[in-house]
Amino acid sequence: MIALKNISLKQGSFELSGVNLTIAAGEYGVLMGRSGCGKTTILEAICGLRSIENGSIRLGDEEVAGFPPAERGVGYVPQDRALFPTMIVREQLAFALVLRKQPQTQIAARVNELAKLLGITQLLDRAPDKLSGGEAQRVALGRALAHRPAVLCLDEPLAALDEELHEEMCRLLEHVHRETGVTVLHITHSPSEAKRLAGCHFRMENGKVTRE
Amino acid sequence: MSEPAQPKYRVASDKPFLIGLGVLAGSYLLIIGAMVLADLVFLDYGDQPILGNERVQQGRYAEGAVPIRVEAGRTYHFRLGKNEVALKHDEQMLTGKNLFKANTDEVRLQPRIPNAPITASLRPEALVIQIALTNHIATLTTDESHGLLWGQFIRVHGAGAGWDGVHEITDTTTNQLSIALPENSAATPKTLQLSKPNPLVQALRSRDIQFSIMLSLISCTITTLMSIWVAVPIGYIMSRFEFRGKPLIDTLLDIPIVLPPLVVGLSLLILFRYAPDWLSDSVVYKWPAVVLAQFMVACAFAVRTMRVTFDQIPHRYEQVALTLGCNRQQAFWRVILPQAKGGLLAAATLSWARALGEFGPILVFAGATRQKTEVLPTSAFLELQAGRTEGMLAVSLIMIGAAVIVFLIARTLGMKRVFA
Repeated sequence: MIALKNISLKQGSFELSGVNLTIAAGEYGVLMGRSGCGKTTILEAICGLRSIENGSIRLGDEEVAGFPPAERGVGYVPQDRALFPTMIVREQLAFALVLRKQPQTQIAARVNELAKLLGITQLLDRAPDKLSGGEAQRVALGRALAHRPAVLCLDEPLAALDEELHEEMCRLLEHVHRETGVTVLHITHSPSEAKRLAGCHFRMENGKVTRE
Repeated sequence: MSEPAQPKYRVASDKPFLIGLGVLAGSYLLIIGAMVLADLVFLDYGDQPILGNERVQQGRYAEGAVPIRVEAGRTYHFRLGKNEVALKHDEQMLTGKNLFKANTDEVRLQPRIPNAPITASLRPEALVIQIALTNHIATLTTDESHGLLWGQFIRVHGAGAGWDGVHEITDTTTNQLSIALPENSAATPKTLQLSKPNPLVQALRSRDIQFSIMLSLISCTITTLMSIWVAVPIGYIMSRFEFRGKPLIDTLLDIPIVLPPLVVGLSLLILFRYAPDWLSDSVVYKWPAVVLAQFMVACAFAVRTMRVTFDQIPHRYEQVALTLGCNRQQAFWRVILPQAKGGLLAAATLSWARALGEFGPILVFAGATRQKTEVLPTSAFLELQAGRTEGMLAVSLIMIGAAVIVFLIARTLGMKRVFA
């Protein structure tokens, strides 16, 4: 579950206050809003990449407001995907598990499982600059899911994809959501995408989040 | 109703713009290339004859052609000056710079303007007339003064095993020079020829210059390692953290780049007057001063490079790494530093090259003592001061070579694909 209560934060001249948002465990939440209204800021606050001034952030049963990002148990897929340029796909998928010092065999098994889930088994030994947009998106998704986070934060994951790929990725996201049961917060501009995927639907306007 | 016919819209040709770009870029490239090429071409790679005293009396001559007495059968080296047309020898006109064997006992110099000073040079080749060997030291007597100095090198031909080759001159007088021979050299020959090896060989053989090559290579490498050691953290801090007084620190970091290098050396020298005796005694005018002087300037360039490198790596990567379970340290070592590899190499190459060329601060802070604080630029300077342009050029070529090698190594390492 994701529960934001009365979040306020400040960044230069940009200010948000009294933001509330609740997504039940295992639900697929889509947050819409105009560019620059603070959607990404909210997402970063949840991930712990931006400190908040007031309010509470609960992920699952824990209050995580003071936690470093590493201990929040979130998977984060930024808009530009940010695949690590110096690692092949396999290393990207294994990254979170290597940090957690899991045994080699377990890591290999998890990487293969993820690759199968996302349909990227044949890409495991590729460098990120040799991936197409859709492939890179899958890898970024796999990297974020590797450590089995309870919460997955997607920042406009389908923005840069063409029509055909768009539908394919929508299906994939549904599939992944069903298979993993992860709580998702998905940010988008596109109403059709929201309609297609959302279990619950939020709109951000004038610094407030409302459920529709 | 038809609309009035509009003239078709046309744009001017791109040619002048492209040609302009090409000319500007090309002329600079041309100068770079020509500069290096000139160094390579100027140096006479062949051996040079050993020449005796000048035969042309410099000064004004009232009349036209100037007669000069020479010795028939001897080889002379002639170099044309500014005011001479040619040297007339045995009905032949010699122009330029060359060796010739005299057939007569008089040659005539043809001046361009009768009353202007003569600047041509005519020098006889010094021949060995006596060879003596005692205790493996050969003493060669020449019929003309040879003008060679102790510590220079000389090549012996046509004298047999042990004799032939390049030798260091161990002792000289006006007409004599001594060289040390190896144990099992051949017996004393009746005759032998001498020549001066090219300046590059002389430089590479010289113990002073060998020392300065070693000191340069070692000090530059230490400087580079130290620069990287310091530049990576500073570059990272300046790129990733915001704090009070950052603009001030930014300015401080640029001081060594902006200050004249000589002033950096002087400042170091003065700083060490305040240091405890044991410290300044072991640094100032010793090799650590060389490293410190190089480091102060080279490091500033490394810091610049590293900062730009880190600036160009988006924060996003760290952010993702943090959510995946890294702390800041892990994100730095696992995600950021591997991406900074190219910049790291650039910073290392830049600081190495910078350190190799450092001269002013070293001269001030470490001195120019042979076999002690002499680095390659110091050698070049000492050669120039001694009036040996060719020696300086030889040292410069050694520096060019060293720089090119390091640059190539850095390039190949940098080019290596991250993914084999």
